Amino acid sequence: MARQLAMVIDSAKCMDCKACVAACKVANHTPEGQWRNWIKLDDSPPRPGASNRKARFQPGACMHCDNPTCVAACPTGATYKDAETGEVVIDEGLCIGCGNCLPACPYHARFRNAEKRKADKCNYCPERRSAGLDPACVDTCPTKARVFGDINDPQSEAGRLYLANKERLARVVAATDTKPNMFYLGDPGPEHWAGEAVIPASMVALKQSAPLIKGIVALSGLGVLVMLGRQLLAGSGDSHSGSGPSGDKENTDA
Amino acid sequence: MHRKFMILTAAALVLGMSVSMAFALGGGNGRKGKFLYSKNCRSCHNGGTAADLSPADRTQAEWQATFSDMGKIKCSGDWTLSDEDINDIYTYLYDYAKDSPSPAKCS
Amino acid sequence: MAQTSRTLSRREFFKASGLLAAGALGGPALLGGLRTAQAATETMTPAWDSRFGVCDMCFNKCGLIARVENGVVTKLDPNPKFVKSRGMLCARGNAGISHVYDPDRLKHPLLRKGGRGEGKWQRIPWDEALDMAAQKMDEVREKYLPCGHLFTAGTDMQSLFVERLAEAYGSFNLTSHESLCLVSGSRAFLDTFGEVPFADVLHSKYVIMVGANRFEALVTPDSMDLMTAMREHGCKLVTLDPRYTKTAALSDEWYPIRPGTDMAFMLALAHVIVGEGLYDPQWIEEKTYGMEQLREHVKPYTPGFAAEQCGIPAEDIARIARELAAAAPASMVYPGRRSSDYEDSTQIRRSFAIVNGLLGNWDRPGGLLGARAVGLKGVPYDAPWYDDNHDDRIDAGKVPMMFEHEGSFMVTRDSILADDPYPIRGWFVYKTNPMATAPNRAKTIEMMHKMDFVTVVDIAMSDTAWYADLVLPSQSYLERIDPCSGLQGSSACACVVKRDPVIEPLYESRPLFDIVKGIAGRLDLGEYFDFTIEQFREKQLADLPGADGIMDRDGVYYNPSKVYGIYDGLVYKTLSQKVELYNQRYEQMGIDPLPVYTPPVQPPANQFRLVVGRNALVTQGSTTNNTLLHEFVPTNTLWLNPGPAGKLGIADGDLVEVSSAVGRQAIRAEVTDKIREDTVYMLTGFNTLSTQQRLAHGNGASIAEILDGGYDTVTGNAALHLTFVTVTRKVA
Repeated sequence: MARQLAMVIDSAKCMDCKACVAACKVANHTPEGQWRNWIKLDDSPPRPGASNRKARFQPGACMHCDNPTCVAACPTGATYKDAETGEVVIDEGLCIGCGNCLPACPYHARFRNAEKRKADKCNYCPERRSAGLDPACVDTCPTKARVFGDINDPQSEAGRLYLANKERLARVVAATDTKPNMFYLGDPGPEHWAGEAVIPASMVALKQSAPLIKGIVALSGLGVLVMLGRQLLAGSGDSHSGSGPSGDKENTDA
Repeated sequence: MHRKFMILTAAALVLGMSVSMAFALGGGNGRKGKFLYSKNCRSCHNGGTAADLSPADRTQAEWQATFSDMGKIKCSGDWTLSDEDINDIYTYLYDYAKDSPSPAKCS
Repeated sequence: MAQTSRTLSRREFFKASGLLAAGALGGPALLGGLRTAQAATETMTPAWDSRFGVCDMCFNKCGLIARVENGVVTKLDPNPKFVKSRGMLCARGNAGISHVYDPDRLKHPLLRKGGRGEGKWQRIPWDEALDMAAQKMDEVREKYLPCGHLFTAGTDMQSLFVERLAEAYGSFNLTSHESLCLVSGSRAFLDTFGEVPFADVLHSKYVIMVGANRFEALVTPDSMDLMTAMREHGCKLVTLDPRYTKTAALSDEWYPIRPGTDMAFMLALAHVIVGEGLYDPQWIEEKTYGMEQLREHVKPYTPGFAAEQCGIPAEDIARIARELAAAAPASMVYPGRRSSDYEDSTQIRRSFAIVNGLLGNWDRPGGLLGARAVGLKGVPYDAPWYDDNHDDRIDAGKVPMMFEHEGSFMVTRDSILADDPYPIRGWFVYKTNPMATAPNRAKTIEMMHKMDFVTVVDIAMSDTAWYADLVLPSQSYLERIDPCSGLQGSSACACVVKRDPVIEPLYESRPLFDIVKGIAGRLDLGEYFDFTIEQFREKQLADLPGADGIMDRDGVYYNPSKVYGIYDGLVYKTLSQKVELYNQRYEQMGIDPLPVYTPPVQPPANQFRLVVGRNALVTQGSTTNNTLLHEFVPTNTLWLNPGPAGKLGIADGDLVEVSSAVGRQAIRAEVTDKIREDTVYMLTGFNTLSTQQRLAHGNGASIAEILDGGYDTVTGNAALHLTFVTVTRKVA
């Protein structure tokens, strides 16, 4: 079976300490005000007395979905699903920074890196993994709420958790079901925050005409130019910032 | 207030125990006692020739008992200390004993 | 799969067409990008060296691994072998890089040129700086005797050298940060159990959290262990807090207790446990002293009485008492580390300790644990004696049970201002910042103006440094060699750590050790610093052969000493040699031997009680200028309940003025139902006086400016919840 790198998360163990967010930021040099991961907060009003003991905080990041709407939205193929590892990868060499993928992610996991002017998101820290380390957020997590690995490998901690808890695994369901590979053990905590994948009409058209794609080079070439123009005009100031470290500033413009 | 208390308690306990001694113990200068202890006692009580000894190794009652009959302190025959010095050292050990309000930090 | 193949075809199309656009944009080369992505699947030699370190972003000394590339730390990771912190590094720990590479770090010695606090500085060479520090210290000693100089050191692995300097110089006046923090709690537990406990929350079945905030305020083993206990062992957590903190949010039960009434709650728990006989009679008989006095004492403190005081239903108080007792001895009132709050804070904490005493949880799994043997040796020295000196500390005898080794900053400050009983005119400060942390900042400024000469050693221009005469740049925790330090993490471990440099020191910074050695040498006290830190460590480790090598290998050495049953066959270090429910020494000293509840003074109409609270992303005044942490906590706000906010016409985000009897500050209001109507709250560390804290100066409000300066009457610990404030909307 092919690998599927994924996270298995116990939201109920999260105390919103932000260690994962800080670690990610340092490991990936994410520009000021931009974040690759987050902790969503439950904002139900405080009630004195006994609680319902629901998870209050939900760690998250790019969910490396099986149905990645971002891939569909990418005009250049820079964003693709790696068939071998199951990761959704951004090939920076191919990314033109058009921003189409940003609203295409219903979890707002993507942003345009203000310095690189390319699409950016969680990549499970490839440099760390190649050194035999866990992704920064997983390594540093105090309560080990985040567990990372190949869920198809029963030997890995993630695989073990995934198999042992199959019937109680939950996913955060967006309006568009992207089949995310981010699994929560039992109660995932805050729900209904994810939105709908918005794929630009031009991309929908392009998608629908995909079998004919090789025949419409001129059209897509024009599309690339338009997007390139958009990116150049956009400058670095307007870039989509991703959600804040506490996921409270969900910014869907791009 | 705390030192006054020490003096009173020490005195009360000494009286209560009715141990005959050459002089009354307590109420000395504990700070000077610390200095005198380092100068006169630490050279042996360093874990080498004799056991490493800190005020916090004993309770106030134990220090009291130890000093109530100094003849039983093995090295006391070698002491060249004045009664005042001995009392200062005793006060130091007593003030920072393990059940004192400010137990000496482990050393 | 169809989707994927379509995508790939599009991808291949663009690759084939060369994607001129990418090249034109100057993006990374196409192949480079691909190589990075593919490399992820193979293990390669990393670009970095890995070196062990010990974190210093708060006081907990978590083990870390620094990833160093070309002499620069690029990432700080947890040391997985460091069991004490359960193999984690918190957000502050991760932000250590921004601390070390802070552009606002002190770079060279600075001498004040203008008036105090004017911010006019002259760069001077190190030799000149040390000459001057020594000369001024000598002058102070000449004029005011050795005790005329105050020494203050924060919690640091080199702070013991400040103590050594003070003692060699001849001053008894040494204060630590603890009297601005937790000594009243330490006092209470020491005077009940004979030592200050560690909480074995990992094995606890029932924890009551009062005056502590383990999931929000800081991240140490107790935070992780409590979560593990709750998630994996079914531990129940009950939290009392006037704020709905993250700890409250994660608790099984939370009650917004009226501030200042914790003792009433605890005495009611004792009332139920004693009255209903919910204790282990054999344990109480064998191990405790004063049960009969306690039985009489708690009679009036019924759940109904406490309910009126605390605002918590009586039936809940009674039920919690029964549940707590049923889970005993694997249950506890969490001892906490909270700073003291009221003038009777020692007695408040005594009530916590007494309930623990009734639970019989001492020295047992899931209860309160004694200190374990770590095995590190002290390094004694023969301090000189000066006959021509004052008799005692300046704060001596003003509160009955101060800790000699910690002193009381609040009492010392008042005494210095009054020259009572003698003048102090010199001050040496290392790595602590009372100007930003002690209540009533105006008084600390006044104290500064009393001084002939103040030397501050720190990594950045703190507010205390801002008012000093001489400011000396010290090294960060990643640049220096430190003595060994013995640590305990509740039941997790007893261990030893050391620090070795992981990078070259930046700028002209020097370690505190070199600074005090330099000063001592100039004062003819060189013999007290006649060693290197390596030699010092050898002496510390004399009884632990092999430990040094193990630290080199693992970053930490564990002593597999006994965890539970340490007291088997031993007596407790109290006068009665038992757990003192009733404290005999207090009785002898005229202090209430059992805690007597006094209702707190309520805020006058239209005023609020200002409460403090800690945040795991903020270490008082030492992290508000940290660029990474600033992104998480960009400013402080005043938490204000919507009820009173509405009456005052204050909307969320409005600028308000907060004023107390001693000071006023402007701050943005955060209107939230996470706080009681009679209470307001803000974080510490903001709006520094020092302009060399660019992110904190002029940002938010300084709580030190507003807090009034009372203290616990038993220990002299600053009491931080005595301040009433008015809040008014500020017209922009």
